[in-house]
Amino acid sequence: MNKRLLTFIGVIAAFLVVAFFKSSNDEQSQKGIPTVGILQLVTHPALDQIHNGAIAGLKDEGFVNGKNIKIDYQNAQADQSNLKTMAQKFINEHAKVTIGIATPAALSLAKAADGQTPVLMGGITDPVGAGLVKSINKPGGNVSGTSGDSPLQAHLDVIKEVVPKAKTLGIIYTSSDHGGTYHAKKMAKLAESQGFKVKLYTIASTNDMQQVAETMANQVDVVYAPQDNGVASAMKTLVNVTNQNKIPVIPAADTMVKDGGIATIAVSQYQIGYQTGKMAGEVLKGKKTATMPVVSVTKGEPVINLKEAQTLGIDLPDKLVQQAKENGEVIQ
Amino acid sequence: MSIIVSSIGQGILWSILGIALFLTFRILDFPDMTVEGSFPLGAATAVTLIVHGVSPILASLVAFVAGSLAGFTTGILYTKGKIPVLLAGILVMTACLSINLRIMGSANISLLNQKTIFSNAFLQSLPRYFDMVVLGLIIIVVVTAALIWFLQTELGQAFIATGDNPQMAQAFGIRTDRMTIMGLMLSNGLIAFGGAVIAQSNGYADINMGIGIIVIALASIIIGEVIFGNLSLNERLIAVIIGSIIYRLVLLAVLQLGFSTNDLNLISSIILALAMMLPQFRKALRLDGILKKGVRPHD
Repeated sequence: MNKRLLTFIGVIAAFLVVAFFKSSNDEQSQKGIPTVGILQLVTHPALDQIHNGAIAGLKDEGFVNGKNIKIDYQNAQADQSNLKTMAQKFINEHAKVTIGIATPAALSLAKAADGQTPVLMGGITDPVGAGLVKSINKPGGNVSGTSGDSPLQAHLDVIKEVVPKAKTLGIIYTSSDHGGTYHAKKMAKLAESQGFKVKLYTIASTNDMQQVAETMANQVDVVYAPQDNGVASAMKTLVNVTNQNKIPVIPAADTMVKDGGIATIAVSQYQIGYQTGKMAGEVLKGKKTATMPVVSVTKGEPVINLKEAQTLGIDLPDKLVQQAKENGEVIQ
Repeated sequence: MSIIVSSIGQGILWSILGIALFLTFRILDFPDMTVEGSFPLGAATAVTLIVHGVSPILASLVAFVAGSLAGFTTGILYTKGKIPVLLAGILVMTACLSINLRIMGSANISLLNQKTIFSNAFLQSLPRYFDMVVLGLIIIVVVTAALIWFLQTELGQAFIATGDNPQMAQAFGIRTDRMTIMGLMLSNGLIAFGGAVIAQSNGYADINMGIGIIVIALASIIIGEVIFGNLSLNERLIAVIIGSIIYRLVLLAVLQLGFSTNDLNLISSIILALAMMLPQFRKALRLDGILKKGVRPHD
């Protein structure tokens, strides 16, 4: 057998044997300032907002990076094989608290933490369904945080106010997007129970948007676009098609209204992150995740796009415009 | 210390993919893109079955069968349909996305608090991260030994001959099409099995977990070859395992040194491209004599 190969095997085996017997006293004491690990799945406007909000939330609890905490920020850039190594790096650094942005990131942290290190979810769509917490009110373990559940009923009310005559609701989402799928199906049930005829459309990637939108535009009266990364990216394509058919799009996020949605009740991703950051601060001060209820950030403000309303020839209800002017956002 | 153990453990688990890709990439001598589809296919199959109460070991074996079917499809498209092999792999990989969605019913299924192959009492009694190392070693030793045995049988020899020189193999009466399909089935079955094991180790299966898999598997093959030079076929399989461990340790070093993780993919690709061009550099610089020192010629 090749000498060099044997040497390598020998070194790795020797290391493992040493590690095996040393592992018990590996838990060295923490020196210096505590570490906060932030793990993000991919660079994306909504997720970046959560990240920025989390840092602001920590700051308002009195924790500033480089002063009294060290923030270790890792982004897996959609390569999920790296999530595990990054999560374990936090555990290895004896991070006092970790924040997971997007479901796979939170799951990787929960797995690596193994019930020990606190994990805070940054706007996870379905924490109970993902097995991260036992229940929303009593998480019961080392995981808590915020859920980014869309205020679906509020969105449906906007649809009814803006397009009172609409009968058929088209919902478009990305089939590989966990949040998008979850919200689309929930919205379909909700809308059907309130008398709408619902048609679901999926895209596999942003490249499908043009064709799917063209098919959809001839079959529905109004379109709902849930909290979905793929649809958010292709929003402009969607609106180009629906505008030609004079169909309004009610999206779930404020960024999607800027890209041509007509109106929505938007929960700011920054706010979700901010709440997560504040909770991380509370954990640093000694609060236990097991008894911290998962906070669902659903209080939203109206965001309207007047230019889009003009294009479609729709008069937005005065009450909605008034509210948007007062506490929401008006896009001219 | 423990994070190095964790990286070694992951290297051992991921080496299943390296070994599987070796069958197509090095023995049959073509790049098989199917792996980016069969990997999440195996994960989706196993995790869905486990959530529905099937035993984790059985679920992982069913994942192997699912992956073989993906490989079989690529093989048929290539040998009977005369579609170029790279394209055939890409077609199957793309189709797998829809199939995985059908299997899972959502984009992400969590295994937290579910029984997995790692839940056995003995594995859980080991120090942290040694469950990966021990189970990974058991799996990889069994897989490698089975392959070494297989490649020495008459069928295995015919398979190697098909990769070496298809025309000559045909002249000897070897049915090269069948050998190619068999190689693709075996390779993708192993990849899917690897996907099942890794999903259980990660605690979830996600529809997008196949992204970048082929580079990871290639990296373990190439690193093994560059570091160890000329080896016999059996030693080359072992070199892939070591290569996979080294790749994880290099990644860990990059992370620990505080490089921006956004650059990881670029760094991986550059390292691989350089490693693959090494023979050309050697030729150009006539460094052969210098580099070969310390490596024995072929056993």
